Amino acid sequence: MTVVVNTGDDFTLANFLRVSYGGEPVRIGAVARRSMTAGAGHEPTVDSPGRETIRRARWAAPGADFGGGYLDAAVVRGILFARLASLVSGHAGVRPSVAERVAAALDGPMPRVPLDGQAGTGEALPLAQVLAGVQRDGLREGEVEALLGGAPCSAALTADAAIRARHRLQHAEGVCALSIEAFRAPLSAYDEALDDLWGDRHETAALRGLRRYLEGAGTAERRFHQAPVSYRIIPRVLGQVHRAVAAVEKAATVSLRSVTSDVVYVGDELGRPAGRAVRSGGYHNGMAYPALNALSAAWADLALVAERQVTALNTAETSGLPVNLVAPGAPGNGTYAYGWAASGYVEEARAAATPALLPGAVEDLHADVLSPAFGAYRRERRAAECLDGVLAILAIVSSQALFVTGRDPARPLLPLLSFVRSVFPPIDGTGERDLSADGGRLQQALGAAALSGQLAAQPRSARRRSGGRRTAAF
Amino acid sequence: MTVVVNSRDDFTLENYRRVAIGGESVAIGPEARTTMAEGRANFLRLLESDRTQFIYGVTSSFGPRARLTIPPGEQRAHARAFGFRRGNWARGFGGGYLDERVVRGVVFARLANFVAGNSKARPVVAERIAAMLDGPLPPVPLDGEVGAGEVLPMAHVMHGLRRGGLEEGEANPLMNGSPVSAALAADTALQACHRLDHAEQIFALSVEAFGAPLDAYDDELDDLWGDEDEASALAALRRYLAGASPGGRPSAAVPASYQVLGRVLGQAHRAVTGVEDAARVSLRSVTDNPVYVPPDDGHPLGRAFSTGGFHNAMTYPALNALAAAWADLTLLAQRHVTALCAVAASAPPARAPRFAAGAATGLEPVLAALVEDARAAAMPTLLPAAVNDPQDDVSSPVFSAYRRQAWAAECFDGAQAVLAAGASQALLHAGRQPAPPLQDLLAAIRAIFPPLEASPPDPGARGGELAAALARWAVTGSGPFGTSR
Repeated sequence: MTVVVNTGDDFTLANFLRVSYGGEPVRIGAVARRSMTAGAGHEPTVDSPGRETIRRARWAAPGADFGGGYLDAAVVRGILFARLASLVSGHAGVRPSVAERVAAALDGPMPRVPLDGQAGTGEALPLAQVLAGVQRDGLREGEVEALLGGAPCSAALTADAAIRARHRLQHAEGVCALSIEAFRAPLSAYDEALDDLWGDRHETAALRGLRRYLEGAGTAERRFHQAPVSYRIIPRVLGQVHRAVAAVEKAATVSLRSVTSDVVYVGDELGRPAGRAVRSGGYHNGMAYPALNALSAAWADLALVAERQVTALNTAETSGLPVNLVAPGAPGNGTYAYGWAASGYVEEARAAATPALLPGAVEDLHADVLSPAFGAYRRERRAAECLDGVLAILAIVSSQALFVTGRDPARPLLPLLSFVRSVFPPIDGTGERDLSADGGRLQQALGAAALSGQLAAQPRSARRRSGGRRTAAF
Repeated sequence: MTVVVNSRDDFTLENYRRVAIGGESVAIGPEARTTMAEGRANFLRLLESDRTQFIYGVTSSFGPRARLTIPPGEQRAHARAFGFRRGNWARGFGGGYLDERVVRGVVFARLANFVAGNSKARPVVAERIAAMLDGPLPPVPLDGEVGAGEVLPMAHVMHGLRRGGLEEGEANPLMNGSPVSAALAADTALQACHRLDHAEQIFALSVEAFGAPLDAYDDELDDLWGDEDEASALAALRRYLAGASPGGRPSAAVPASYQVLGRVLGQAHRAVTGVEDAARVSLRSVTDNPVYVPPDDGHPLGRAFSTGGFHNAMTYPALNALAAAWADLTLLAQRHVTALCAVAASAPPARAPRFAAGAATGLEPVLAALVEDARAAAMPTLLPAAVNDPQDDVSSPVFSAYRRQAWAAECFDGAQAVLAAGASQALLHAGRQPAPPLQDLLAAIRAIFPPLEASPPDPGARGGELAAALARWAVTGSGPFGTSR
């Protein structure tokens, strides 16, 4: 399939996903070609600030940035896709052939874009790397600036985070519901009456998410008194995650379709040499990095609450469950040490939740405000990775609690439990196991599921003889 | 005037302002009294149907001892003892005190749980709470208020409440729930709205002082960027720059800090809206634990059950975001001051000043510290790492978030004062007047911080006075800056 782009309306999260991770090519549609033909041919009518010269030099010899690993190739594809939004609008003043060159770059291998050293004024620094494969001969005055200006990196980074965040949240709700069942927490803390009493749409979404997983849960064996705070407040904490995810989705949706070229050609005169040129700060995306910051903090807080639930499940005095969830007659310390491991992930997540603010550095008197988008993106990825670690542990401990008490969770949670156990079977005290590697596999599976939306079991080597991949859709 | 509350819909930001800042009294309306009386009667029927059922704090003990049941014959005495014990639970100390206007706001927010009958309490209890607003309110220390829910600060707030004769189920709704978060969000929201408006005026003055090109705020960008908050910021800048002369504004030398102004202010709009939303939702939320839900078809006696309502999860992230927005604007203000000084240094003065200061006011050195402090204040408050006990295993960070936001705002006020004085000085240096909508602002600034040509003021003291005025006007929304939001 091919994604055809004609207007800003085509720069959706769904199309971003098709191009970036789906690997689909992009074609410039007829409407876009007409807009660009009408808008092309302007000479800059504003004084040059010298930035174009610097940008040309950077594009000619990219590589001042280095280190920190590289952006996923799929995200580089996403940046190329996002780059087209300004071009096809006709406001960037470029010819259709320029947009076609960018689209054609998606048909070849992606250049490597280092993650370190990408905080400059605007996004010319990473764009010089991203556009390395774009033919540049014969580009006219202003077209280089149109290619290297604007803020398509922020748009793509936010879109990438948004895609993962929605799935990660859905899976987190499932794991928390599994924990509620394992602990036998009273269900009233998730009662539908709270939807109206609290009156917040995001908390309502979280409450509904939990109730969906807990539908049909038995009430007979639950504790008569209230559960620890970490179980009662989980809908409100998940509600905050819903809010943060919605904010990232909104930032991505707005940013993908924004026309952010440094110079835009506007007005009724569009298409004529007299068209008005507006030079703006479009190259600075002010909404992406705060949204990513908020999401990192939400992941960190959710990780902490999940860790508290791990502790509650592992503590017999609190949970009423067997000590350390050790299976009857089995040796060892059961899931106890996972509680310690969870603490490490929580601390890392909290460190990653330190917000990326406007950088303190100054390039020069004119380039005096830099973009922190790359820093915010990397911190969110790290916080999410740590959350996956804690969620993996909570899933392991919950599965173990159900195993040692011979219980099943509510029916909607059975596919999730099956997935967890396909990656991490209960600790039954038989045989030698690398519990570190098994836990890591579950964390990786959760990370992969954040992108795919599918909890796909990663076959353990010991199980390769008996089966392939198993998936559970939520 | 008196604010009459009849339902949760009366717990608006405007009514909060009237009570907390305006000092108005609150009266429990007849509709609320009827609803509460019905709720109380229904709850008692539920309780009498089985006094061994678990109702937190009514038939059970509190906190980590929740699993201990209270025998039916001791439940009323348990309720009466609770009030005194909880009242004596105030433990926090140090760090100064919450402004009394905020304590008034907490008392007002407390009533939202009562008026719809979800508190289980008689109307007289709500009336006692409302009556607290007619007298002096107790000091609430800012340190040591982080615990599960908001019982710790509420123990201070309710210190003066008449507790005699409390009955079963009436003690918990005094202390439980999250009215403190609601009030802290509302107090911040009311100030943030004014602070942002003043910031837009001062940044617009800076645009004029620098002679920055106006196309970076062009109305075409509203649609091209396609974001409502950035459109609001651009519209505000255009409003204050209406009538500005477009000539003499070369684009060649304009720093990024002027070009990105609309987008950075857009993020501040987004953050202010986030706090306003948190305040609006929180003020009318029923967050009591346990909460009483009136009878319905499936539950003829209604239900009383435990929830996590006491943990407000939306206020502290909203305050975090606002603190970060102030920090970023503080940095932007510092960049503007640097740019103003640089451009003035490269241009001859329009007339010979008594002091060859250019755009410098002497205040510039304080900016570095203000920027760094604002950035430190923008470190987010996350869920606290400490655990009180296995039952109370997650605490609320809202007090910390409130204080950090206030600190970031204070730093921003300071940076705004420096920028305002610098812009005023730069205009004098260039011999220009700003756009007409900004001339009253300029006069107000110069009344506090006269240009260096006119007199040699003590710049530190006058800069501090200007920052204090900005902070004061953020609370009141009045002052010579006015407001347009």
